Amino acid sequence: MSVCTMEQPKVGVFLSDCGKQLSEILDFDALTNFVKGVPNVALIARGSEFWRGKGLQTIVDAVKSGKINRVVVAESITKISDVNIAQAVENAGLNSYLVEVLDIKDHCAWPHRNAPKEATEKAKAMLLSAIERAKLLEPIEKLEFPALKSALIIGGGIGGMQTAVDLADLGFEVNLIEKQPFLGGLAARAGRFFPTDDCAICIQPPSSDVKTITHTSRKCVYRSGFGEIPNLNILTNASVVAVEGVPGNYKVGVEKKPRYVDADKCVACDKCVSVCPVEAPDAYNANLANRKAIYINVPAVHPQVYAIDEDACKFNDCAKCVSVCPTGAIDLDQKPEQVTFNVGSIIVATGFKEFDASAIKEYHYDNYPDVITNLELARMIDGFGPTGGAIVRPSDGKPAKKIVFVQCAGSRDRRYNPYCSGICCMISLKNASLVKEANPDAEISICYIDIRTTGREHEYYYERARDMGIKFVKGRPTEIYADEEKGKLIVDVEDALLKRFLDLEADLVVLATSMVPAEGTAELAELLGLDLEADGFFKEYNAKLRPTETKQKGIFLCGGATFPKDAPTASLHAHSAALKAAKFLNSGKIVKDLRTAYINDEYCGDCEFCPVMCPFGAITLEPTTENHFVARVNDLLCEGCGVCVGTCPLNAIELKNSKSTQLAAQMDALLSVNGTSKPLVLAICCQECGHTAVDSSGMAKMEYPANVRIIKVPCAGIVRVNQILDAFKAGAQGVMIVGCKTDGCHYEVGSENAEKKADSAKVLLKEYGIEPERLEMFKMVYIEGAQFAEAAKMMTERVAKLGPLKLMGDS
Amino acid sequence: MPHHNVKKAEAMSFSEEVTCRHGGETLTACYQCGTCASSCPVARLDSRFNPREVLKLALLGEKDELLSGDAIWLCTSCFNCQERCPQNVEIAELMFTLRNIAIEAGNSPNIYADFGGALLADGRIVAISKFVEKKREEFGLPPLKPVGVEDLNKILEATGFTKPEKKEASQ
Repeated sequence: MSVCTMEQPKVGVFLSDCGKQLSEILDFDALTNFVKGVPNVALIARGSEFWRGKGLQTIVDAVKSGKINRVVVAESITKISDVNIAQAVENAGLNSYLVEVLDIKDHCAWPHRNAPKEATEKAKAMLLSAIERAKLLEPIEKLEFPALKSALIIGGGIGGMQTAVDLADLGFEVNLIEKQPFLGGLAARAGRFFPTDDCAICIQPPSSDVKTITHTSRKCVYRSGFGEIPNLNILTNASVVAVEGVPGNYKVGVEKKPRYVDADKCVACDKCVSVCPVEAPDAYNANLANRKAIYINVPAVHPQVYAIDEDACKFNDCAKCVSVCPTGAIDLDQKPEQVTFNVGSIIVATGFKEFDASAIKEYHYDNYPDVITNLELARMIDGFGPTGGAIVRPSDGKPAKKIVFVQCAGSRDRRYNPYCSGICCMISLKNASLVKEANPDAEISICYIDIRTTGREHEYYYERARDMGIKFVKGRPTEIYADEEKGKLIVDVEDALLKRFLDLEADLVVLATSMVPAEGTAELAELLGLDLEADGFFKEYNAKLRPTETKQKGIFLCGGATFPKDAPTASLHAHSAALKAAKFLNSGKIVKDLRTAYINDEYCGDCEFCPVMCPFGAITLEPTTENHFVARVNDLLCEGCGVCVGTCPLNAIELKNSKSTQLAAQMDALLSVNGTSKPLVLAICCQECGHTAVDSSGMAKMEYPANVRIIKVPCAGIVRVNQILDAFKAGAQGVMIVGCKTDGCHYEVGSENAEKKADSAKVLLKEYGIEPERLEMFKMVYIEGAQFAEAAKMMTERVAKLGPLKLMGDS
Repeated sequence: MPHHNVKKAEAMSFSEEVTCRHGGETLTACYQCGTCASSCPVARLDSRFNPREVLKLALLGEKDELLSGDAIWLCTSCFNCQERCPQNVEIAELMFTLRNIAIEAGNSPNIYADFGGALLADGRIVAISKFVEKKREEFGLPPLKPVGVEDLNKILEATGFTKPEKKEASQ
């Protein structure tokens, strides 16, 4: 860094006229003469284009010759040319961050084409701004961080298992941890899946399973070879208790609860179960039956090793299992173990669970045993379940003939979960059809608000259900009550289509409960430094384009951890998470341009604003002397948005590639030349949506006056109140801050912060005798070019009406 | 409500007219699940009233049918529907809002005109009757005295309360 900063800047300015189209509007001779007069400009070149071909070679040659050490290019398609030029300059031996590209077509020539003189003056200001910035630019170094080629997957349901197979197949060291004693998660309990009607325990086996692998070899978990993948370490009864480290190198503390059965010795002979005298409610089977204190969920689970329920077992007071075990596998003195995993990446696959329907008092889930949930019904349908496949009334064990399903139990309900859980219609259709198929004389009704069968093959389930004679009632029941004389439940519902009140008799009422985040989701989010959405599920980095990534590079999400999912979607999601993790870990290192934030220790101290505001958790506080501390930026985590810069009350943080001195020099330059009859307005635009809205207004040839000057910042959140005041001092008569939409801010909180800051700046402006209307915040996206042009016109008119700005001290 | 600021009353749809009024704000949240209807004790007894249907008519803008009909006056304000509505639609409040709109449009059952007249004249909705006087005597309660209506009328005047017009030959 020192060499270049010491060296006198020699700026090369490359002016593109885009196939002469720009020189028809702008006076290029005037521009050239203007640039010639700017100190430190060592070279001026004009051409048709500079971002590719011969034009780009001109830049490369100039850099190689040593005549210039800063590059300013006035181009027409900056967003593409930026990358090309930077790469070429880097290859020519100059740091790519010593390049400044400006868009004189879309930001100047086109929007102001009907005022060519004014446009030329604005182009001068833009060129000067770019040159002044270029002079102050400093090289940005690249750093390499090691990334361990290993991953930890939290959750052994369908999502976690599929991700584990993918990553293990690709050669990564994979650790899969599951909270329960057996793998499978919620999915395994569902018995059968839609839309394939096959078993829930069926997974795609690893391709490393040479013996059985064929293209179509979908397999039950127990015969999939899943447990024998050499680079897959499976830990059941285990949960995450601590997370430390950085992307590429995490230390994850895991607590493994004792199973009390040694997996290496157990031969799954069932002798222990037959002698165990203790019975306990079988939570796996929705407490519809009891199981022994030593148990296995269903025959085909993984691992094929018994587990002891420590809440029920009498341990050494009984120990009958110990004496009967032929291999001495039972160890009642096992203690919890702490294991630490050192991994490059973490994948969250914690899934979801059924909402506790007892919250809906009028459905009496907690006091009528014959009101059950879909998952409980699924356990009854499962031949390995508590009833051996028979559909019965839990109250008396008699066959259930009349069955009523109630959809949206807790979903689409603003009192509980306002969202549609998305899968419950299909679950009910599947379960109702399975019951009807096995019991053709069952009378089944489904009470629904809207039936949602939006996936491939899904509508078929609805058709088939109607065809089978399942009845559909359009209405959400108000109450389920017990008719004790008849010994039936009554579902009180209006069929809205008939406008008729129905009292549906039922032996069994099945609530299609909403799906909510798995137990411990909030705690895990806290440990991992991840955000949750308002619905309580994990928040993805970007719902549209990066659905399995999080704001923590190196931590990925899959399956129902982000929202309830059916099996096909959970699988897709799992494969996506595996791919993203693999892409992240593949090279064994993370290479990063350090356009990050840095702290000026002289000013920083004893304040906690930046670590709280940083959207990426990149800032920590480090003690200095007793009771004093300073902020520290983690280069790996920092995304270079500058939200911290805008937050710091002491101006103690700067971005390496967007320093306040650089911004100030640009501002001065942009406001040094007016050349129009209108008051100067400075538009501070974030490089994301704000700046692209300016691009698109120009691309679409929308007009706005040339007195509006654009300055680009990484994020609107970087703007400081004193910079706004500086803009007015530098000659701006009005200031616009243009950022992303609040929800669409690329750095989460930047746009929102900028808005708050604009509000407080307005108060301050008033104190200084400046009309607060001279400052306005706008939020736009790329397609809102017209809105930008409108806003620019509006601000110009508004400021013109206010008259010239009088600053304190002005006479 | 936002609509109030941006649109003039004549440009509003009926559902907007309802949602910009106090008590009517939640109308558009209704998705016609019918929980209100099956919760309603009146709907079981009188086919002229079904809260779900009232909301649907309001959403579809069937203003005349709603304002001139009997339905909105049959709600007993038991709030069963409102308690159970999964969308937190303030159904019972909406009935009051719709009644207010109806009264402003000159549509109200004659008994409301009687109530209004009694309120202006005696400060009571229900005039003191022989039956009430006799019952009070039986229970050992003192006879009701006329209340001064001067102050009350000032308040009513300030709030714009007028006696609803009686409809001719309404049935």
